[in-house]
Amino acid sequence: MTTPVLAVEGLDVEFPSYGEAPVRALHGLDLSIGEQEIVGLVGESGSGKTTLARAIMQLVPPPGRISQGSVSFEGRDLSKLDEEQLRTLRGRAMSMVIANPRSELNPLLTVGQQIGNILKYHTGCKGRELRERVIEMLKEVRIPDPERRYDAFPHELSGGMAQRVVMAIALICNPRLVISDDATSGLDVTVQAQVLELLKRLAERHRTAMLFITRDIGITAHFCDRVAIIYGGEIMEIATRARFFANPMHPYSVLLLAAFSHNPKLRSYWLKEGEAAAEARPAETGCPFAPRCVRVREHCRSVHPELRELEAGHHVRCHFPVERRA
Amino acid sequence: MRLLSYLGQRLLFVAPQLVGILFVSFLLVKLIPGDPAVLMLGPFATPDGLARLRTELGLDRTVVEQFLIYLGNVVQGDLGTSWQTTMPVTSDLAQRFPATLELVTLGLLVALAIGLPLGVAGARYKRGLLRTGADYYGLLAGALPDFWLGLVLIYVFYTMLGWAPAPLGRIDFAVIPPEPVTGALLIDSLIAGNWEAFRSAAGHLVLPVLTLGLINAGPILKMTQATTERMLDSDFSRYAELCGLPRKVVVAQALRNALPSVITIVSVLYGFLLGGAVLVEIVFSWGGAGQYAVQGVLNADLNPVLGFVLYSAVLSLFIYLIVDLLYFLIDPRTR
Repeated sequence: MTTPVLAVEGLDVEFPSYGEAPVRALHGLDLSIGEQEIVGLVGESGSGKTTLARAIMQLVPPPGRISQGSVSFEGRDLSKLDEEQLRTLRGRAMSMVIANPRSELNPLLTVGQQIGNILKYHTGCKGRELRERVIEMLKEVRIPDPERRYDAFPHELSGGMAQRVVMAIALICNPRLVISDDATSGLDVTVQAQVLELLKRLAERHRTAMLFITRDIGITAHFCDRVAIIYGGEIMEIATRARFFANPMHPYSVLLLAAFSHNPKLRSYWLKEGEAAAEARPAETGCPFAPRCVRVREHCRSVHPELRELEAGHHVRCHFPVERRA
Repeated sequence: MRLLSYLGQRLLFVAPQLVGILFVSFLLVKLIPGDPAVLMLGPFATPDGLARLRTELGLDRTVVEQFLIYLGNVVQGDLGTSWQTTMPVTSDLAQRFPATLELVTLGLLVALAIGLPLGVAGARYKRGLLRTGADYYGLLAGALPDFWLGLVLIYVFYTMLGWAPAPLGRIDFAVIPPEPVTGALLIDSLIAGNWEAFRSAAGHLVLPVLTLGLINAGPILKMTQATTERMLDSDFSRYAELCGLPRKVVVAQALRNALPSVITIVSVLYGFLLGGAVLVEIVFSWGGAGQYAVQGVLNADLNPVLGFVLYSAVLSLFIYLIVDLLYFLIDPRTR
């Protein structure tokens, strides 16, 4: 077996909270991504998606910290690397496409400078060659009139344009892994579709693997080789795209899919009544999803379920997985 | 082009702004107790003589009339005479204002040279000796009075060690000062190629400049540190880090984004120090503009005070204009 591009094993990330037990943002998280594979990670706000992205980059915002487990990139355990070695990986071998890029780009630097800086500080490329490669990249992310946009400032860009700039930044060094963190969430739906299409094409062309983090399970259906569902900092279900959409087994996965359904009966069946359920925090003991699960039983509240492989390549963390109706 | 129209607008308002500033300070100066006529003629003046002098000075007219007469003279370039020095205020200030400017400019340059790097270092290393040192320095510089520091420096470097020249003015009495061109001794002696004067003037500048620099580095340091730190915590810095840019580059970018605040504080300090450096000027017998104005206030000698206010106002407006230009240069969003 070849080494995966990314292997996350048993990862725990904690945020200390004063006077109480630390808050666990991620708990025993396993995830691996093979070469050129696109894995979709779906979860709601607060489920630990962004924390995972940051933990992979070894940049958990302080005071949070990785308390257990490991992240390996191309077989190298990242916790064993020093800060300088990590820095040379970030942005070069593994890079990130972020959401709301207009507030994340440096307001005082031109588009060309910001893309160019990545290339300059990672490869030492400079001068005319730098400019040419940046403009080449701008063309690749379909920015019209790249020569002129090269000198544009972030506040002069539209949201979709800024998103393309961030993609150019992520891809200019031909990374092995791109993490897209809810990247298209700030865009209009029509622009979103274009940008997604482009991102997928670029990933293919640059032969890069991708962790595609999103709140929108619908996107993963078009986009990903495998789909993972995260809730309360744990993977609830992970399967190939075909298996997942044909046969979702975790009640939370079904809830996410039902939310898109046109069938109101289906929706109301899976959605637990009452505001308390909607706002319930993931349970500390037993199954984290138990407070919101319509199928919850006594067993779920006391015993923490393991991630089990129920079909080949289809793992589910549920004591009583949903059976497909014949 | 927005820059040009902006500049035009600013310049259009300079004249009314100056008249306003002059009017307010005219009223305030008139509120100072003390009759110039009495002070000028001394204790043995006759009531007749006083009345005649008051008429001569126009003191028997209303304040508004007096102001209009003064304004008319100012427009013609006549700021009146100082009865203390018996010289026209313009020629007094031509000599003293450059002295203050030279002192304050160099003082602020030194303050920047100390405050900026320390502030950036403090923002970069949130813990450690450097940060602690920067914090204490900021505290100390804010707490120490500048004239006291000046006296300590004089005591150590003149009285004890004898390294510094006597704190009596801007140049040795024995040295012939260069022909005034700009009024700044360093520049003038360079123009004249007079090395002896240059060396002497520079020597006399060291302690007062150091005094102003060490004290005013405090607010510059605080501002630099706070703003740079905020910029380092902001989204674009975290993104730059995520992109694997070297820490040095991330800090440099944060500093660049913090620069407008630093420029603002420097410009405020500049305007303030024109008059605020007076205690340091007195300690070093500098003969600067601040000293001149204070003496005017103490002796109900109005023309020097108003002249000083006018010069300072013009200079402050000029400085704020430059500050705006710098903002334009630094931040593309303002263009």
